[in-house]
Amino acid sequence: MNMKKTYLSAAAILVVAGIVGSIAGMSFYTKRHFQEDIVTGPNVTEVFKLSKYNPNLEGTIGDSDVYVLKGEKEGGSLVVLGSTHANEPSGHMAGILLEENANVDVGTIYVIPNINNSALTHNDPLDGSPQYMHFTNKNGETRTFQYGSRATNPIDQWPDPDIYTHKSSGQTLSGSETRNLNRCYPGVEDGTLSEQVAYAVTNMINTLEIDMEIDLHESSPEYAVNNATVAHERAATIAAEGVLDLQLEGISMSLEPSPTTLHGLTHRELGDFTNTYALLMETGNPSQGRLRGYTDETLVKTGKDPCYVIAYDLGLLYVDYSSGDFPIELRVGRHLAGINAYINAFNNNSSEDKQIVVSGIPGYDELVNGSLGDYLL
Amino acid sequence: MKKIATIAMAGALALSLVACGGSSASSAAPAASAPAASTASTAASAAATDLTEISAGMCQTPAILTSIGQSADVDIANTLCSKAGIEVTMNKNITGDELPDDCKTLILAVGGSSKGLGAAGIDADQELARTDALIAAAKDKGITILAMHTGGSARRGTLSDSFINPAFEGCDAAIVVSEGDADGLMSGILAKNSTPATYVENTAGALGALQTAFGK
Repeated sequence: MNMKKTYLSAAAILVVAGIVGSIAGMSFYTKRHFQEDIVTGPNVTEVFKLSKYNPNLEGTIGDSDVYVLKGEKEGGSLVVLGSTHANEPSGHMAGILLEENANVDVGTIYVIPNINNSALTHNDPLDGSPQYMHFTNKNGETRTFQYGSRATNPIDQWPDPDIYTHKSSGQTLSGSETRNLNRCYPGVEDGTLSEQVAYAVTNMINTLEIDMEIDLHESSPEYAVNNATVAHERAATIAAEGVLDLQLEGISMSLEPSPTTLHGLTHRELGDFTNTYALLMETGNPSQGRLRGYTDETLVKTGKDPCYVIAYDLGLLYVDYSSGDFPIELRVGRHLAGINAYINAFNNNSSEDKQIVVSGIPGYDELVNGSLGDYLL
Repeated sequence: MKKIATIAMAGALALSLVACGGSSASSAAPAASAPAASTASTAASAAATDLTEISAGMCQTPAILTSIGQSADVDIANTLCSKAGIEVTMNKNITGDELPDDCKTLILAVGGSSKGLGAAGIDADQELARTDALIAAAKDKGITILAMHTGGSARRGTLSDSFINPAFEGCDAAIVVSEGDADGLMSGILAKNSTPATYVENTAGALGALQTAFGK
């Protein structure tokens, strides 16, 4: 009798576990196969796959789209990377707004809003992050975008080694960093998926002789490098001039040098292994921080978190959070204003035949006083 | 009791299916600089008003620009000088022995950065030793020392303050972004030493102050 009850209990528990597992599995499957709602902008002149610069990526989830905005006149060139860390959504959305709105007259801008496409297909375990973000465009249509993870999806790259050894420098990091795209540059042609993606970017910059690269990130408000630009030493002049211009516009931005001894990051390796001016921007984002409270899509979009208000009052933050919110319009606006400022600084420090002239990028004030959806097609 | 334990274990097993995998790694290294103060003090502005303004043309070229603390503020200062029409030679790591004899002004871009110190391959103690020797050498050679703190509150805290103290104690003039001196650390040193100084609202405001200092 007792044995029978035990069997029944075990069966019931297995059924419940099966239901929970199925629900979770369906959720994972849907996210994994979700087709993101990115519209090719009217001024995009070409879209190609990243595998053009590393054929090993062909047919894999790492074969991201590259949106090309080429002006009628030859000039300088810029590549913008969004979603290096897919849980830093303002980089992703800034890339999308850029390719959907910008109009290049002189030079070429390459935009890759989903540089770590795999990372967009899952969330960081135990973080309680939302899976998607929704925005309403001017036509009243809802557009849905992925909210992802800091790292490449383990479905695509597994298992992690105990220790990750960065190939070109020999630097060792914890094993999970092997799936952090921003520790994989300059990449390895036939390496892990993350290394292959990094290699494709490096090869693309070298092959197309792209003059400047900007990698868009977000950072926890309690992290010291916040509302900042990190610049390779060759890009210091452009970065300094851009930072000053941003400050004149009333946008707080500090400048940090790229550490020479920390390898695998865009601002270090793309500066060392290509001739590009390598820059990386960080904007404060409470939904990414460790001190945050309830985490949902609203937090991601509004950046309104009572826990961070307390942290700010205690003097624990590296950003001015007196407003009590960091809406995504502000964070995307910072990135787009930064891109504009660094293009201007690049132009001031470049010859006549290397200019980049672009219009149509949503302005900082417009975004801050409006809605991000207003700039989605 | 046994049943409850069994159910709890099964629940944990089911949850582990939902959330398996390693935790995300954070690249955030502990920073040496302190968080921005959330409550601004009026001490700095009060003290700053007691200071003598930098007189026009008190700095001359040839000028050397160096970093004290290896933050990228030295690049900002270099750009400011360039925009102000002041010819400077930037050497982020210049030592006292390397100061040229014809140098008339030594500009110190003050602010600590752990990334910058790492990039320079030195630690804070080595940077402080270089700072002390550099200031002493400049004084021996009669070079005017202009300290600049343009990084605001982001360039305050334990690391940056350790560089602010010797640089501002040793300087002959200073340009400071007010927001970074909310606690009056810099204005206190400047007032104590009767060092002329110009306080500006933001980094871009330092442009005019530099032009005045160099008589442009």
